[in-house]
Amino acid sequence: MAASSPAKAPRMRGDQLRRFYWLLVMPAVLMMVGLYFFPLAKVLWISVTEPVPGIGNYAKLITSESVHKVLIVTLRICVITTAVTLVLGYVLSYAMVQAKGAWLRGLTFFVLLPLWISVLVRAFSWVTLLRSNGVINQALLSAGVISEPLTLLRNEFGVIVGMVHYMVPFAVLPLYSNMRGIDLRLIAAARLLGASPWRAFRRIFLPLSLPGVVASGVLVFIFSMGFYVTPALLGGGRVFMIAEYIGVQITQTINWGLGTMLATLLLVCILTLMALLGRIVDMRKLFGAA
Amino acid sequence: MPMTKVQSFQEDCAVLAQEKLARGKLTRRQFNQVMTALGVVGASGLLADKAMAQAAKEIVMVNWGGVAKEGWEKFYAAPFEAKNPGVKVTVDTSGPSTGKIRAMVESKKVTWDVIDASVTSAILLGGMDMLEPIDYNTVKISDMMKGFAYPFGAGPYSFSNVLIYDASKFGNDPPKSWVDFFDFKKYPGKRMLRRDANCMFETLLMGDGVPMDKVYPIDVNRGLEMLKKVRKDAVYWQSGTESEQLMRTGEAVMGVLWNTRAKILQEETKGKLKFTWNQGIIQPTCFSIPKGNPAGPLAQQLIASTCANVDGQVGLLGFLGNGPTNPRAAEKVPADLKQFNPTDPANAKLQLVFDGEWWGKNYNDVNQKYLDTVAG
Repeated sequence: MAASSPAKAPRMRGDQLRRFYWLLVMPAVLMMVGLYFFPLAKVLWISVTEPVPGIGNYAKLITSESVHKVLIVTLRICVITTAVTLVLGYVLSYAMVQAKGAWLRGLTFFVLLPLWISVLVRAFSWVTLLRSNGVINQALLSAGVISEPLTLLRNEFGVIVGMVHYMVPFAVLPLYSNMRGIDLRLIAAARLLGASPWRAFRRIFLPLSLPGVVASGVLVFIFSMGFYVTPALLGGGRVFMIAEYIGVQITQTINWGLGTMLATLLLVCILTLMALLGRIVDMRKLFGAA
Repeated sequence: MPMTKVQSFQEDCAVLAQEKLARGKLTRRQFNQVMTALGVVGASGLLADKAMAQAAKEIVMVNWGGVAKEGWEKFYAAPFEAKNPGVKVTVDTSGPSTGKIRAMVESKKVTWDVIDASVTSAILLGGMDMLEPIDYNTVKISDMMKGFAYPFGAGPYSFSNVLIYDASKFGNDPPKSWVDFFDFKKYPGKRMLRRDANCMFETLLMGDGVPMDKVYPIDVNRGLEMLKKVRKDAVYWQSGTESEQLMRTGEAVMGVLWNTRAKILQEETKGKLKFTWNQGIIQPTCFSIPKGNPAGPLAQQLIASTCANVDGQVGLLGFLGNGPTNPRAAEKVPADLKQFNPTDPANAKLQLVFDGEWWGKNYNDVNQKYLDTVAG
């Protein structure tokens, strides 16, 4: 006690300190309440008051075939996108962990590069590559691999290609930061004890990297659910996902009740996933805090 | 401009003019001719109005952006300002989407006076009590072609959904109707449709053999059945640029698109791509007034002026390809432009006039069904 009291003396008392901290964050809190939570609450409010008060909009989750279809399509595309992105992201992150010097810089650069290119530009580039008389089909046709152009665009395949391309960096970043924390000497030790390379990877590296996989997976899945531009352009009207569906309800047909209900649903799904994610991994670490 | 939602014709005009300007195809000749005419109007108007000494007033017109702003300023705003000194007409390009108008009117913070809306959204918003009715004592009904004046909107320009085809493939026996359009045996290849129910049900029904005068009221189920038969052989456009692109790259051999875009393709490809007015679906735009607009009844006068101004309408036809809606305008159209004027008597008689009343009542429901069926 005697040793610690001189250090404590100039400080504020615990609850004073806490009050001071609250004061510091107050402007940010007020701004969030006024500009974010209040409008958000209004959106929730519309979903239970329009066109008539009640839960009629939410009943559409069960009764409306159109809503079913958009939910199923969205879910299917998000699951496939997440799975493919994780596999690609895992391989890339693994390579980055092993790489050194110029290789590492090169890999990092090419992983991050797409992040700096507009999503519109990327979608249009895919159109050029994938369309029936596009670069890929022309090449395959002239090489004699195929006799009829493949349908690579204006279907779910095209949308998934575009979405995976967008999402890979978001999968790599948490995976890489997780893998870098793994002590590679453990693999060496396993090898020394007679494990094959594959066995050492499967029994040691893979389990240690699982938190990164889960974090990446949830992140990618959450992002995928809100995709708007990519499905609209690469789906060519044939792939109708939830974000675009909400857009139509809000701006075009002013069916605000249905639109806000789906927006609420999307929000609830995302918050649930975030909560799950928070239980599995340290969120602060994931978003870059030391 | 976001490319993600279905683009309206009104939005497309803005993009179109920009593209034309970029390609250096915009002729200033018609522009200058009309401006000279306007100058005369301006001088005489000035004398008459000096005595009126109107208080300075601003009217905000809202369209969908791009160089269409320039066209509006010269053909709509300037003539009105010349006749009404002290009134300033501003062209805002933020895009008056149905959702935005609703939000604005409901929050009672209306900052716009005249909006460029589609017939469908004018009727939709009018039905929700969000628009001022058009005052047909101010706007002269005799300035509007038959079927183009709506309770909540009166527009000075029109456009049409027309059939375009690849004449290098089908030039010997070109398609003449929507029945031909959907005849995949006779005309093999992909079709291009619009990803919006508006005008597509008319196309589908006529394609299924419904005569032009029996299209309305639309048999929605029959239209959807027809769509199910053809949807696999079709690509869908959402914006005017996209409709051009799909035809230009040959992804579709035949398509439905706006006449403004069809004209560009026909001229650019020197007739390899050709369009026909046969069974086209023609509709006016709607200039509408959001409820509680700041300039009040002055907005009615501005709409009246644009609908009465024949020279302005002809000028805009040369500028963007939009058809005049004043029945006296067609004869003033220069001979070389007549073939591209949707409301030229020779072209108009081949087309179906869009039934905005039906669409205003049914658009929401029918469009959702259409989009769902396209997605299959």
